[in-house]
Amino acid sequence: MIDIENLRLSIEGKEILKGIDLHLVPGDTYGLLGPNGAGKSTTIFALLGLSAYGSGRISVLGGDPAQHALSIRRSVGVMPEKAGFYDWMTAPDYLKWYGRLYDFSPTDEDVAKMLEKVGLGAVAHRPIGTYSRGMKQRLAVARALTPRPKLLILDEPTNGLDPKGRREIHDLLVEFAADGNAGVLLCTHLLDDVDRLCNRIGIIDNGRTQLEGSITDLLAEQVSGQRYRLRLETAPDTTNLPAGVVMAGHEGGWWRVQVQATPFGEPSALWPELWRRGWKILEIRSEASNLEELYMSHTGQDEAHNREAA
Amino acid sequence: MKIRKYLLTAIVSTLLFTAVSVSAQAPVSLDLQPDGKNPASPVMGDHLQFWSTITNTGTSPIEGLVAWISLVEIDPGNEQPVDLEDWSAHKAVTGASLGPGQSLRTDWPMRLIKGGDYRVVVSVTDRNGRQVYTSPTVQFHIRQKPVLQAGRVLPVAAGIPLLIVGLMVFNKAKQRHKRVFSTHGQVREG
Amino acid sequence: MMNTIWTIVHKESAQMLRSQRGLLWLLAFSGLLSAFSLLLVSNTELSLLDNAQVVYMMAGTVLAAGALLSAILGSDAYAGEKERGTLVPLLCAPVAPSALLAGKAMGLLAAWGVMFAVATPYLWAVGASGQNLGAALFYLALFGTPVVLGFGYLAMALSARTGSVLASLLSTVTLLMLAASPLIIGPGLRGTAIGRALDAVNPFAGALNTFDSVIIDSDPFSAQTARLLLVIVWLGLCLIAARRSAARPDFQ
Repeated sequence: MIDIENLRLSIEGKEILKGIDLHLVPGDTYGLLGPNGAGKSTTIFALLGLSAYGSGRISVLGGDPAQHALSIRRSVGVMPEKAGFYDWMTAPDYLKWYGRLYDFSPTDEDVAKMLEKVGLGAVAHRPIGTYSRGMKQRLAVARALTPRPKLLILDEPTNGLDPKGRREIHDLLVEFAADGNAGVLLCTHLLDDVDRLCNRIGIIDNGRTQLEGSITDLLAEQVSGQRYRLRLETAPDTTNLPAGVVMAGHEGGWWRVQVQATPFGEPSALWPELWRRGWKILEIRSEASNLEELYMSHTGQDEAHNREAA
Repeated sequence: MKIRKYLLTAIVSTLLFTAVSVSAQAPVSLDLQPDGKNPASPVMGDHLQFWSTITNTGTSPIEGLVAWISLVEIDPGNEQPVDLEDWSAHKAVTGASLGPGQSLRTDWPMRLIKGGDYRVVVSVTDRNGRQVYTSPTVQFHIRQKPVLQAGRVLPVAAGIPLLIVGLMVFNKAKQRHKRVFSTHGQVREG
Repeated sequence: MMNTIWTIVHKESAQMLRSQRGLLWLLAFSGLLSAFSLLLVSNTELSLLDNAQVVYMMAGTVLAAGALLSAILGSDAYAGEKERGTLVPLLCAPVAPSALLAGKAMGLLAAWGVMFAVATPYLWAVGASGQNLGAALFYLALFGTPVVLGFGYLAMALSARTGSVLASLLSTVTLLMLAASPLIIGPGLRGTAIGRALDAVNPFAGALNTFDSVIIDSDPFSAQTARLLLVIVWLGLCLIAARRSAARPDFQ
C-alpha cells in the first residue's frame, strides 16, 4: 500500500528528509516512530502529495502522489496531528460535510453509529466548539474513518485521551485493521500504542529511516537485552555475576543490571540464580520495554554524533 | 495754463478713444442664454441647460480655444464659487479652432444639486492670447427640496438591524431547540 | 470537482449566515448604513443633498465595506484555517487546490451577495425619489463584484503564501485604504497628477468614478468600458496571484 524508497525532501533549501524507507502492505498496522522533528509528519505530507519531494520513490496505493494525489487521497483517511474543526458545526453536520469532500454521503445513521463508536453519541448535538480536547481527538478519528478508507494514516491519535478513550480508539483501529485488506500507518510517541496495535515499525531520526521491520523480528534481533532495577537487602557481590548480566549502575538502594537475551531466555530464570549468588532481592522493576530499548538505541545518534563532531 | 489743460484733455481723450477702439476690436464675442425649456422656478434635482455662442470677430483664426463654465453662489453671507463636480459632467470645451467670423454654439447641461441663488458665466481664452473673455452672466434661483424622506429611511434604518438581530436570536433558539430535542430523544432511547 | 466546490461553498456560506461571527459582521454593516442614513435625514445640510449624490455616497460606502469584508474573509481563508488547525484536514481530503480556491471565492461572493441584499433597501430608502437608482444597483453589482472579489483573491494569495492572518490582513487593508483614498480624501486628491495616475490604475477609484458617472451624470454604459476593463484586469491579476499561492499553501 505504501512503498517509499530513499525519499529525500527539502523545504526552503533545508533538507528535511534525507533517506526515508517505508513499506506497508495490506493488513499491516505500521508504527512510525521518531523524536520530534524527525520528519514523520513531513513523510505523511509527502505521501499525500502535499509536499513535493526531491528524489527517491513513493508509491501509495499504486500511484505516485506527485501525479495522482487526488485519487490517492480519495482512498486514504487521515488524522493529522492538529485536529481542527469548525467550532460552530455539530459533529454529525461536520462528518456529513467532510464525507462529501470524498464524494461520499454518509447517512444520518452512518454518522450516528460512527459517533457512538468513538464515544461521542451523547454529545453529538452540541457544537464542536464546546468539546474538550479529548472529544476532538475522538472526532478526528471518526473523521478519518468516515470516508471508509483503504489506508488510514493517524498522527498521534491518542494524544490527550484518558485510558478509557485510548482503549476505545485502539479497539476501533483493531476493528479497522481486522479487515486484512486495509492498512494503518500510525505515527506516535506512545510506545504502548505501538506495542498493542502494530505488527511493523519504522524508526526515523533526523530525516532518515534508522530501522524498519516486523516488531517480532526486530526484538528477536535485539542484542542489548533488557534493563532492570533491583532493590536489594544488602550490597551485592558485583564481581560474581552470571553470564549475560552486566552491572549498569547503582543509585540509593537500587542496582541496575543489563540482562542479555541469552543465555537465560526468560528473565524469570535469572532471579533464582542471582539469589543463589547472594543477591537478596526485595523488588524487581523493569526499566523499559524492549520496544523502548529498541527505540532509544536507534534515535538521537545523529545528534550525539553531531555534538561530538562539534 | 489753459492751453496745457486743453492739451492734457486731448491726450486723455485720445488714449480713451484708443482704448475703446481696441476694446471694440476684441476678437471674440460671447453670448450666454438659458434654454427656453428650462423650468421657470427650478427646484433641486431639476436639470437646466444653457447655450453659449462664441464668435470669432477678429481677422485671424483662433487656435486652441478653451471655454469653461463657472457657477457662483450669491446667497447673502454665503458668496462663493461652486465646485461643479457633482453639478455637471460637461464643464469645458477645449482645443477648438475658430476661423474669422465662425461661431461655436455649445450647450451646458447642469443638474441642480443645492438650493440658493446662483450666477452662471462662460469664459473663453485661447492658446496664444493673454486675454480672458467672459459672457454675460445668467442668474437663477434654486428652490430647496428635502430629498430624503424620513418616513422611508427610518423604517429601513431601524428594521434591517432588527431583522438581523432576529435572525441571530432565531439561530440561537433553533440550536437550543435542536439540543433539547436531541437530549430528549436520547433519554427516550436510553 | 463541482461537487467539491459546492461542498466548500456550502460551508463558507453557512459560516456567514449561521455562525454568530458572520451575523455580527452583517449587523455591524447594517448598523453602519443605518447610522449613515439617519445622519442624512437628521442633519439639515445633509438632508438637502441631492438623492443621486446620496446614492453615490452610499454605493461607495457599500463597495468599501464589501472590499473590507473581502479582505477579512480572504485573509482568513487559508491562514485562519491554518491557525485553527482546519486547513490540514481540508488539504488531506481529495480537494484540488483550484477547487478549494474556487469554493472559497464563491463563498466570498455569497457573502458579498448578502451584503448587497442588505444594502439594497438602504439605497432604495435614500434614492427612490431621485434619479438612477436602478443604474446605481446595476453598476454596484457590475463593478463592485470584480473589485470586491479582486481584493478577496489578493487577500487569499497573501494568506496562502504567508500563512498569517495578521500579515495578510495588514497588507490587504493597507492597499485597500490606499485604493479607497479618493473616497476618504475626496475629489481634491483626484485633481492632482498623482491622483490622476492613481485613478488610472486604481480599480476602486475606477468603480467610484463609474458610480459618479452613471448615478450623478447619467452617462451611458459606453462611457464606462475603459473602467470596466480596468476592474476586470484587476480581478484577473489577483486571480493569477491567488492561484499561484493556493497551489502550494503554507500549511505547516
